[in-house]
Amino acid sequence: MKTKLLTGMGLALALGACASVPQPNAALENARAAVQTAEADPNVTRYAPLDLDVARKDLNNADNAAMHHQDADVAQSAYLAMQNARLAQAHGAAKADDARVASGQVERDQIMLAARTRDANNANMAAANSRQVADAALSQRDQANQETARVQAELDALKATPTPRGMVLTLGDVLFDTGRAELKSGASRTLDQLTQFLTEHPDRRVQIDGFTDSVGTDSYNEELSQRRANAVREALISRGIDSSRIGTEGYGKSYPVADNNDSGGRQLNRRVEVVIGGDNGTPISPRTGG
Amino acid sequence: MLMGLSNRAKGASLCTAIALCVAGCATTPVPNEQLAVAKSSVQRAEASGAPELAPVEMSTARQELASAEKATADGMAQPARQWAEKANVDAQLAEATARERRSHKAAAEFDASMAALRQESQRSPQPAQ
Repeated sequence: MKTKLLTGMGLALALGACASVPQPNAALENARAAVQTAEADPNVTRYAPLDLDVARKDLNNADNAAMHHQDADVAQSAYLAMQNARLAQAHGAAKADDARVASGQVERDQIMLAARTRDANNANMAAANSRQVADAALSQRDQANQETARVQAELDALKATPTPRGMVLTLGDVLFDTGRAELKSGASRTLDQLTQFLTEHPDRRVQIDGFTDSVGTDSYNEELSQRRANAVREALISRGIDSSRIGTEGYGKSYPVADNNDSGGRQLNRRVEVVIGGDNGTPISPRTGG
Repeated sequence: MLMGLSNRAKGASLCTAIALCVAGCATTPVPNEQLAVAKSSVQRAEASGAPELAPVEMSTARQELASAEKATADGMAQPARQWAEKANVDAQLAEATARERRSHKAAAEFDASMAALRQESQRSPQPAQ
């Protein structure tokens, strides 16, 4: 009797093990869904295929256990399949993020390199611009220097000498006949040079001052010196210089430049001085003092 | 004769039952090795920042490891093996989840820095005139 019972149990066990229709199992289906989700995750197939293999193997074990109605094993393997599927997804996501950062480093380095290159270029361009500005300033200064030098050369050609009132060109006694105010032809060259200078420098004014020696009355000398100054003025006007730029004054025997006691000194004192004003067009102050 | 056959059949069935039982017992030896693997995985997860970054998974793994140790102490080999397997996979999941969150945070910070860098590079001063 006891033997019969044991035999029945053995048959029951054998039948149970051989049954091929598994019962629906929620844990197993959840595990299957988790594995399928992992399979559909491109990060898993790319970065965690081995984890996915483990999950599939667990799921396979669970299916086999279910086929044999080994419920405890179904639950265990289904749990392992589910967790390994999640593990695969976690690994895949982590590695995908790491890979994105790694490839992004390259782009970041490129951007930073480009930025540095551009900054360097900008600095170079700024430096070039600064050089241009500096060059332009130098060039302007050079031009100004050249202009000054040219004016000086022109004034030198006129044999002008510097005084506090400006450059002074002296037309000597030899250009006038004694007691007369008409310019002799010898003055032409000097007056042509002066005219050219005044034409090239339209901002400059001239002051023409006449002087005599001490021979004769003051009124005569003043009148004569004025007429001689006027003669020079007329000569400049006839050469095209605007009359408004020309001032005249007769100083008579005042302001002698030499001793009136000898004929040589007197000759030096008989003169017309042409004062050339600055390039800002300011009027030339009248003669004062010694 | 009939009786003899019947006895032999009985004997065969009995053998089958015993064989099944033995086979079942053979797959569940005392799981020292699996327990050691589970312990090692839990320790690694704990060292990887999982307690802070994946506390739920970490806690699960610890409880499963404790259950595996208790079952082992009670001489319950099969449950001990199953708890150890669970503790192992959950410790790995805790570690992986921690890593996933770290990587995600790092990637988000990187994206932000890249966005700032791109914006700055587009807004950079034009070459001076």
